[in-house]
Amino acid sequence: MPVALPEVKETWSGKIVEVTLGAGPDKGGTRGRTVTVGGETALPFLHFEGQIPNRPVIAAEVSDRAPEDWSSLLTEAWGGVLEDPASWAARAEELGAEVIALSLDSAHPERGDTGAKEARATVRKVLEATSLPLIIYGPGQIDKDNEVLVAAAEEAKGERVALGNCEEKNYRTIVAAALANDQAVIAKTPIDVNLAKQLNVLIGDMGLARDRIIMDPTTGALGYGIEYTYSVMERVRLAALTGDAALQEPLLVTAGYEAWRAKEARTSEGVPAQWGDWNQRGLLWEANTSVTLLGTGADILVLRHPETISLVKYAVDELMKGV
Amino acid sequence: MSRYIARAAIRGANMIVGEAEQMVTSAVEDLGADTPVAFTNTAYYLPVILGFTGKEVTTLGQLPEVVDHAKKLLVDAPAKSLWLPYLGETLDAGAATLLAFEAMEGVRFARGQQPEPIQGLNLTGTSFTSPDSNGGARGDGGGFANGPIDDIQLRAWGIQLVDGRMPGFAAIVGAARSNEAAVSIVRELQKRNILVFLSGNVNGRSIIHQLMEEGVEMGYDTYIVPFGTDTISAIYALGFATRSALTFGGMTGGAVRDILLYNKYRVFAFVLALGEVDDLKYAAAAGAINYGFPVIADTLIPQILPTGVTTYEHVVSMPFDDIEGATDAEKARRMIQRCMEVRGVKVKITDVPIPVPYGSAFEGERVRKADLRVEFGGSKAHAFEYLRMVDTDQVEDGRITVVGPDFADLPEGGAMNLGIVIEVAGRKMQEDFEPVLERQVHYFVNGASGIQHVGQRDITWVRFSKGAVDKGFSIKNIGDILYARYHGEFGAIVDKVQVTLYTDPAEFEKWLGRARDAYQQRNVRLADMVDESVEEFYSCTLCQSFAPNHVCVVSPERLGLCGAYNWLDCKASYQINPTGPNQPIPKGIPLDKDLGIWQGSNAFAYQNTHQTVERVSLYSIMQDPMTACGCFECIAIIIPEANGVMVVSREDPSMTPAGMTFSTLAGVCGGGIQTPGMMGMGKYYLLSKKFISAEGGLKRVVWMSSFLKDTMAEDLKAVCEREGDPELLDKIADERYVTTVDELLPFLEEHGHPALAMESIL
Repeated sequence: MPVALPEVKETWSGKIVEVTLGAGPDKGGTRGRTVTVGGETALPFLHFEGQIPNRPVIAAEVSDRAPEDWSSLLTEAWGGVLEDPASWAARAEELGAEVIALSLDSAHPERGDTGAKEARATVRKVLEATSLPLIIYGPGQIDKDNEVLVAAAEEAKGERVALGNCEEKNYRTIVAAALANDQAVIAKTPIDVNLAKQLNVLIGDMGLARDRIIMDPTTGALGYGIEYTYSVMERVRLAALTGDAALQEPLLVTAGYEAWRAKEARTSEGVPAQWGDWNQRGLLWEANTSVTLLGTGADILVLRHPETISLVKYAVDELMKGV
Repeated sequence: MSRYIARAAIRGANMIVGEAEQMVTSAVEDLGADTPVAFTNTAYYLPVILGFTGKEVTTLGQLPEVVDHAKKLLVDAPAKSLWLPYLGETLDAGAATLLAFEAMEGVRFARGQQPEPIQGLNLTGTSFTSPDSNGGARGDGGGFANGPIDDIQLRAWGIQLVDGRMPGFAAIVGAARSNEAAVSIVRELQKRNILVFLSGNVNGRSIIHQLMEEGVEMGYDTYIVPFGTDTISAIYALGFATRSALTFGGMTGGAVRDILLYNKYRVFAFVLALGEVDDLKYAAAAGAINYGFPVIADTLIPQILPTGVTTYEHVVSMPFDDIEGATDAEKARRMIQRCMEVRGVKVKITDVPIPVPYGSAFEGERVRKADLRVEFGGSKAHAFEYLRMVDTDQVEDGRITVVGPDFADLPEGGAMNLGIVIEVAGRKMQEDFEPVLERQVHYFVNGASGIQHVGQRDITWVRFSKGAVDKGFSIKNIGDILYARYHGEFGAIVDKVQVTLYTDPAEFEKWLGRARDAYQQRNVRLADMVDESVEEFYSCTLCQSFAPNHVCVVSPERLGLCGAYNWLDCKASYQINPTGPNQPIPKGIPLDKDLGIWQGSNAFAYQNTHQTVERVSLYSIMQDPMTACGCFECIAIIIPEANGVMVVSREDPSMTPAGMTFSTLAGVCGGGIQTPGMMGMGKYYLLSKKFISAEGGLKRVVWMSSFLKDTMAEDLKAVCEREGDPELLDKIADERYVTTVDELLPFLEEHGHPALAMESIL
């Protein structure tokens, strides 16, 4: 006897906003490649339920100063390019990164205290060294973020970079800089749907168009609260697809940063032998964190290890094939 | 719109447009139509013309078109007998004036006459305009006004205007009553981080001259920009405003309505007209009003008080001589304060200026007897706190006064009376917010290290520790704290705050009486406020971070289940933070008055519980009860065997007739799940007429934690009387007598509890 399968397909009324990073010569920029994310009308990779016009993309994290707190697995894998953000960005592009996430970390008062002038020079150098679109992060300290991101926004005028992080206490200056220089922003909130929504609304109130906002909902690494962040992102995406316009921005996750903070990835000392090969473990920690977050709607993944870039890209390739 | 102003402005506009036409015609003849016209270092052409018309003017030959455009906006001045509303015509005349002004400055640039030379004026900061346009000729005692602000500076200041670090700009036109007044006006504005633009003159004397004589540094570095000594140069202020909208609002030339609205809502600018206001100044003022910028004059002129094109008043007259104050400086201070109110500019205060550390970390501190220097209230003295709303002219913002003696003469550990009276004014302040704000005194004062505050209203009790007093903490510092915190936390609804601290016995008694009258009135008002009397309830989604599908619907007769937010709190919170967790819920059509179901609250709950809760009743525990997050003060749950409901409070650790303790029940009740027969609630909901009114109200309660009975004894007794059963409270069991269902039934029968005879709850 034939069994009738129930129809389980969902249809959604909402659509994720499409955000384009980078501008080529036709739009007044110099990028050789641009990246568009968002546009989904279905849950991640459920191709049979709706449109998934753009694949999730990989951004490689690049810092303007050689990181001191990175695992030796990372520093060895990258080698000498860590000393120079331009070479680092160029190398990341060779390895398959689709966006460069440049961190102006040296502006932090305790990590170099560099200013607007240095920020401009770094941004210029990196723009020249890579054809990829840029995300530009400040050092995460309010006054210095304002100082260097305003300068960076001006320096990169025409290139449609994303400036981050806009947070509740500190979004106005960054949004103003984005408005004045035609850039996008990254709106970061601490794992809370309503705060995420509120920040998007506040940024929108300042007059920034929706197609220039990317949300970072803050995530955890595998084994370090990923379930919680997974369900928050899931709720963000469900709300967006059911029509909540204030949550329909594409999602960015800093999977590399999170995964490489985990003991399992960072160290080989004092850990049980059963944990196996350290290098393998580190890579997989980052890759698994990434793939898990892909499953809950991540549109941009900021990664750290050169090899995870290709690993995660491979996963995206397979997931985009549909059924 | 004042007809007098309309006539003057339209006359002025006609005159200046004519003048502009002549100037443009002769310039085209003298220099040729192809002669370039440009303000230096800007990518926005002649910005006001660009904004209003979309024309990108680059040569003299394009200016006649602009003048023609201006002429089309003009009508004849209204006759004295004409009684039409002439607001539209006046605003158009203002726009024509601005176009004429800018065309004239364009011509002057083409002729090399801008920026205006001003003998002896040297600007501080990088001025990109002046040196270039005059071949770099500076020094030698010669100097130049700034002329238009260049794009680099526009961006730097624009970002600060957009992100709120800089509240706005003041376009000052004319000359102040005295040099002292001029300096004070500018200093008052600088103190508030407001950009100062200077132009115009009165009989040849400009505020620019006054400031030069007094040695005030002008230039980009000091945020004081002299545009020029005639009224026409005021156009650069509006050019700046227009370019702000183009740069930061993403608007394009010609999108005039958007540009003007952007300025109205986002650029907190105003015009300060100093000295006699002639036709041309009226015309320019009409131009500024187009942008939503009000005009404040220091002379006697007709006022335009209703709101409309501007957010508040359009034209305000404040004759300088009539302003209260002993010196010109004091008068200037009051005038600028008024300017802030008229434009709605908010004061920002970040630090609490007191001699002891301040922060929420100190909130829980106790001041014990051994450390006590002085106390106000408690068993040996009396203290009260009273916040009231008054008219804005009755508050002097920032005034903190101590009326009566200090505590210096008291022995260590002594006590004295203290009355804390806070008077606030604000455009968005409502009398209903008084208790909401007054309750904050507790948190605000407790933030000071070494200071303890308990109680509220007339049972306030404040202690100062020896340590705090040694560091210099005084009674007046209470005022400093309250002033800073009210501005900091409630700036959205409070514009002005003054604090008076009464220790003088007679004054103390007088104000205590007033305060008690107010408390009494508030009680009556609260009692009168019922769900039927309001149009909107409020939501609270504060807890969605951990209970994603829970929404509290807060009504006047049912407070939030945490007990922390009642309807007024939510209303105030919404005013303060319009995108925050407390949103208005229009009630909409009532679907069931007994159960307390409205179309609006259902729709809100459905959407905000992410389509999980479709119906929510405010007055029932059995049918579609409200969900709970987990913060509830009490849990109510039915006891079917007793045909009633029990209420257990968070403070009660004992076993209950439901077979579970509070903490076990909490695990079942929370998380945003709708469970008929069970709900979380704020303890004051017990006193409401709407407390499970669908099931019969308090008479349904068969068991209640003794903590609730004891702490709310008086209030509960009153409710029992209201419900027509004065002995009801004694008929309700508690954990002292009953901890199981088996014990409950005999207790209820013995005491004759009404629930036993009520309709079945199931």
